[in-house]
Amino acid sequence: MGAAASLVAVATLSACGSDSGSDSTLTWYTNPDSGGQAEIAARCTEAADGAYTIETAQLPRESSQQREQLIRRLAAEDDSIDLMSLDPPYIPEFAQAGFLAPVPEDVAERVTEDVVQSAIDGSTWDDELVAVPFWANTQLLWYKQSAAEAAGLDMDEPVTWAQLVAAAEEQGTQIAAQGIRAEALTVWTNALIEGAGGSIIEETAPDPEDIELGLRSEAAVAAAEAMQAVATVGGPAFSTAGEDANVTDFEEGDAAFMVNWPFVWPRALSAVEAGTLDASVPEDYGWARYPRTVEGEESRPPYGGINIGIGAFSRNTDLAYEAAECIVSEENQTYYFLTNGNPAAKASVYDDPEVLEEFPQAPLIRESLEAAAPRPQTVYYSEVSGALQRVYHPASSVEPGQTGATAAELINAVLAGEELL
Amino acid sequence: MSTRKKVMWWIGGAIIVVYALFPIAWIISISLKAPSDIANGQFLPSSISWGNYETVLTGSASELFLPALRNSFGICLIATAISCLLAMFAAYAIARLDFPGKKVILSTALAVAIFPVISIVTPLFNVWRQIGLYDTWPGLILPYLSLTLPISIWTMSAFFREIPWEMEQAAQVDGATTWQAFRKVIVPLAAPGVFTTAIIAFFIAWNDFVYGIVLTSTEAARPVPAALGLFSGASQFEDPTGAIAAAALIVTIPVVVLVLLFQRRIVAGLTNGAVKG
Amino acid sequence: MSTTTLPPGEKTDPRSAPEKKAGISDRSRSERKLGWLLAGPAFVVMLAVTAYPIAQAIYESLFSYRLTDPANRSFTGLTNYWVILTDPIWWQAIWVTVFITVVTVAVELVLGFGLAMVMAKALSSIRPVVRAAILIPYAVITVVSAFAWQFAFDINTGFVNSWFAWIPGVTADTDWFGDRWQSLLVICLAEIWKTTPFISLLLLAGLAQVPEVLQEAAKVDGASWWQRLWRVTIPNMKAAIMVALLFRSLDAFRVFDSIFIMTGGANGTESVSFLAYRQTIARLEIGLGSAVSVLLFLVVVLIAFTFIKAFKVDLASTRGE
Repeated sequence: MGAAASLVAVATLSACGSDSGSDSTLTWYTNPDSGGQAEIAARCTEAADGAYTIETAQLPRESSQQREQLIRRLAAEDDSIDLMSLDPPYIPEFAQAGFLAPVPEDVAERVTEDVVQSAIDGSTWDDELVAVPFWANTQLLWYKQSAAEAAGLDMDEPVTWAQLVAAAEEQGTQIAAQGIRAEALTVWTNALIEGAGGSIIEETAPDPEDIELGLRSEAAVAAAEAMQAVATVGGPAFSTAGEDANVTDFEEGDAAFMVNWPFVWPRALSAVEAGTLDASVPEDYGWARYPRTVEGEESRPPYGGINIGIGAFSRNTDLAYEAAECIVSEENQTYYFLTNGNPAAKASVYDDPEVLEEFPQAPLIRESLEAAAPRPQTVYYSEVSGALQRVYHPASSVEPGQTGATAAELINAVLAGEELL
Repeated sequence: MSTRKKVMWWIGGAIIVVYALFPIAWIISISLKAPSDIANGQFLPSSISWGNYETVLTGSASELFLPALRNSFGICLIATAISCLLAMFAAYAIARLDFPGKKVILSTALAVAIFPVISIVTPLFNVWRQIGLYDTWPGLILPYLSLTLPISIWTMSAFFREIPWEMEQAAQVDGATTWQAFRKVIVPLAAPGVFTTAIIAFFIAWNDFVYGIVLTSTEAARPVPAALGLFSGASQFEDPTGAIAAAALIVTIPVVVLVLLFQRRIVAGLTNGAVKG
Repeated sequence: MSTTTLPPGEKTDPRSAPEKKAGISDRSRSERKLGWLLAGPAFVVMLAVTAYPIAQAIYESLFSYRLTDPANRSFTGLTNYWVILTDPIWWQAIWVTVFITVVTVAVELVLGFGLAMVMAKALSSIRPVVRAAILIPYAVITVVSAFAWQFAFDINTGFVNSWFAWIPGVTADTDWFGDRWQSLLVICLAEIWKTTPFISLLLLAGLAQVPEVLQEAAKVDGASWWQRLWRVTIPNMKAAIMVALLFRSLDAFRVFDSIFIMTGGANGTESVSFLAYRQTIARLEIGLGSAVSVLLFLVVVLIAFTFIKAFKVDLASTRGE
């Protein structure tokens, strides 16, 4: 609290020096949440004591649509965009196009202090910090303790996808994962390939022709094998299941294993409170590190979350950076974690007793974030992800020896402008 | 009419009403389900919950939804009024007058009506940004005219075509000018058709999704269909099924009221506007 | 057929010949002026909001142009068109769109005609109820209707699986949106529910214009209900049927909202509009996307042209018949 306040004070002072103009209203484009960002905006406005006012404007729900809306406006050099809540994989595209105002060095230093590595990586493009880490998300392996026990799985030890598939088959239950043709499928594919020691993009480059893909590697084959196997125990609606459908299946008992973000925990608790879920259900919840793609290789959990980008055409980038520093203060990150269930980017938040109380998984989340692998960092992320979704969907049709090569061909053709997507 | 026939009509009528209202009933039902009851697999909620309406009207989604409702109404009503006025004159000219270029006008209307909205929208966005129409009411009213004008012109031309123009000629023989004949004789005959067209035009504007989502960005002009995509569940990963259903029902209520109010007008319009012989 | 032919009404003008000649040239001049005066504003407005974007789309379709990378914009001629027309995705989108159009318009025409007949002929006691009910699906926003049908068929939120489990092939585990044809079926159902009233309204307008005298005459001649339908009713409302059919077909061919909401184009359910959206809005490939849009427009013009030529739908020839 004290640190945050002094930080704001310093920032405010520095802003007074620059002639930032009369217009001190900042617009923050936020992704939909449970009102946490609006509250943080109000808090920072109050703390700024007239230096600036943050107004929020809401973006669509799907991150791909958030990107579309922002990019369209930025391409028209819209000066009304001051702050943006950005999904990390799109950050390179924004940065390369010159849509993000450069992060001042002193700000960069302060906002990366004590921040988990994946969140810093996710805000970085071309070895430069281009956005301010705000909150960092990762997936855990959620399981029903009863089912794991019955299957004889030792969940204290790292488990592989193959083990889970075998256990699910044996127990006649399902594994809930994101098989829907959406960004979530790319998240899963990427985690599987990274977990096998590979990468979708091995060598990134601004020029599409120089991008080296890793989809023909052994790791990609191993990932495809895991995907295909999970699809067989993924339940009847696997090809349309997203995070929400997954957690429904898990709560209802159709699935005993699930990879999903931490929101599933507060969701279950509030359902119990509302009387719509039996209290015994979350009591049976267990959590572990994201499953391994191959035995003996550390898993690389997905990395998600939101980082704050400052619009390059904003009339008030200095003020906006000030506001961004306030938004990502430890206090606000803790608040956001506790009320909206979105894990913090700052490592120290995970030591907060209240956080530990609300989220017994917090230490695991932090550990997962340190090991998490970002999705491929490229200016053409949207194309890469879209092509992957097209080829890897439905997961049941994935062929280990072939799908990766097909996807690589498609991505190359699309980037060369030779094929539609 | 025999009793049997009457019963048949009643059954037929009931089937049509069920057909038309069933999805609405379903939206009502789902809007009354609590989040954890959404997946109960049944048509009806296990217990009635008003939580979704609270979310939409006073809760977290109200700041999105209420301005969107106001925008939708204002923008669509203005667009409908303008398009009906313009189309009325155009359709009269096309159906009645002999002048070069009416084929051009009709073809243009058709071309405008069939041009994919998707491809108009990106260039429009750039122009709107430059002239300051982006995210404003006029910025949506103008493209809505491109949706409503062609169908208004075509539908009204079809109506006007069936009007007994001899009566106008008779009036002209009696010394009235073309304009007077139009106003005194044709307008009352055409009014019901114009009214029906207005309703169609309003619903088309009301229905728009693509313009709404591309040409707006804040509550200053964002219409309801675009706002529905912005709702969120308890967290960003949860589907706002219940809130969408509640909002969907709320935007349907005024429309149902309008339909019930206008229904008689449409009936009158279609029967009186018809030409006997 | 020609619009320049003198209308029959004026040929039988009771006025004397010399007066008539002067009258015509005067009147035709004033008619011409009035015509443009009346139709002009609508014409100008339509052009203003579409001519520029249309021209822009055609122009941009000749470039390789990515919105985020304006510096590397380059003229590529017809390359974009070549890329699209040689890509199986384009043809798949075309066939999906054709499928949806044909299925929905055919079903809607029959269903809409039936609804129009009921609205026109039903007992006066139930007529208002039926008419109001039919208007409701039309008034409901497509996005809302798409959500309703999606929620109904969705394996988690829906009731369809538990209600229709008696139909072979439907079980509690049927994932309607996990398969191409099942997804298309639901999309078509939603479209049919939503847009049948449009057709039936236009047909009702046509029905009301069928001269009652002719119906009575046919009745007196002993024609059956069926004969009257085919010999009197339908021929007399041909214009209304064609207008309804034309507009609905062209509208169906641009199907977008339902697919966007229900499947997002997964499982090969992508329509041409959706393909254009994905290139232009999602990929920001303005050149490629504009080319898809232009091609979509050409296909649509072709359909309209076929309609107008083959079925002689010609609103402009009002007076020359």
